[in-house]
Amino acid sequence: MGLTQRAIEAAGIPTVGISLLREVAEKVRPPRTVFLRYPFGHPLGEACNTAQQRTILLDALRALETITAPGTILEPGYRWRRQRFGGATGTRREGTTHVPLL
Amino acid sequence: MKNALLVQLFKRLPWLRTAWARRHRFVEADGIPWTPLGKPVAESVVALLTTAGVHLKSQPPFDMEDPDGDPSFRVIPVEAPRAEWTVTHKYYDHSAADRDINVVLPVDRLWELCREGLVGGLAPRAYGLMGHIDGRHLPTLMERTAPEVARRLQADGAEAVVLTPA
Repeated sequence: MGLTQRAIEAAGIPTVGISLLREVAEKVRPPRTVFLRYPFGHPLGEACNTAQQRTILLDALRALETITAPGTILEPGYRWRRQRFGGATGTRREGTTHVPLL
Repeated sequence: MKNALLVQLFKRLPWLRTAWARRHRFVEADGIPWTPLGKPVAESVVALLTTAGVHLKSQPPFDMEDPDGDPSFRVIPVEAPRAEWTVTHKYYDHSAADRDINVVLPVDRLWELCREGLVGGLAPRAYGLMGHIDGRHLPTLMERTAPEVARRLQADGAEAVVLTPA
């Protein structure tokens, strides 16, 4: 992913990547990275936890504005399944297989 | 098949992939490309790209048999019905993404932020790739796929891109 990110940045579009492997980000050196200690398959957190997904996406978007040094890796430090996001524990939508586009 | 065994091990023992990442020889980079954000995110059109193997059911799945990976990409219109979105990737447990694609490609979350005025706009297309490109497919990724995707993102009017892994 980092190589693609670098190519897009080099083509003139600012990029931010979410990473679940700090070692890879340190080697490949994408311009902006938000690193999470989350399991693979969960870069935005858990299924249907909209508050968690929103928080992480906002972190990434904010990194586009705040990171000024190329290669910076931000680590918000969220603990997997031991972190509360938003008001409640996130809005669970039971019984849905996908979240429809509004 | 050695690769198939490795895939199963990676899925069942996630720490093994961390160990692999420490030892694997990635394409290491010296300089870091840099494009400053032209205007605030609240005024920017943002695009999404994932290497988690996301594509539409109507599109060909990624080739999971090639040990060097599949360096092609899929163009996903963001308004495509969510029931059409699927994941082809054997190297990670994508059961969460199967239930809610936003776990790997936060298209609905980004759309919500746009409607709230926190993001300027959602680019019309998301891009689906497969990670784990290696060996003979690395040049294809770097010389063809990545520049082509970058050109398409520019044509889409993307002013910033959020990338997500598997």
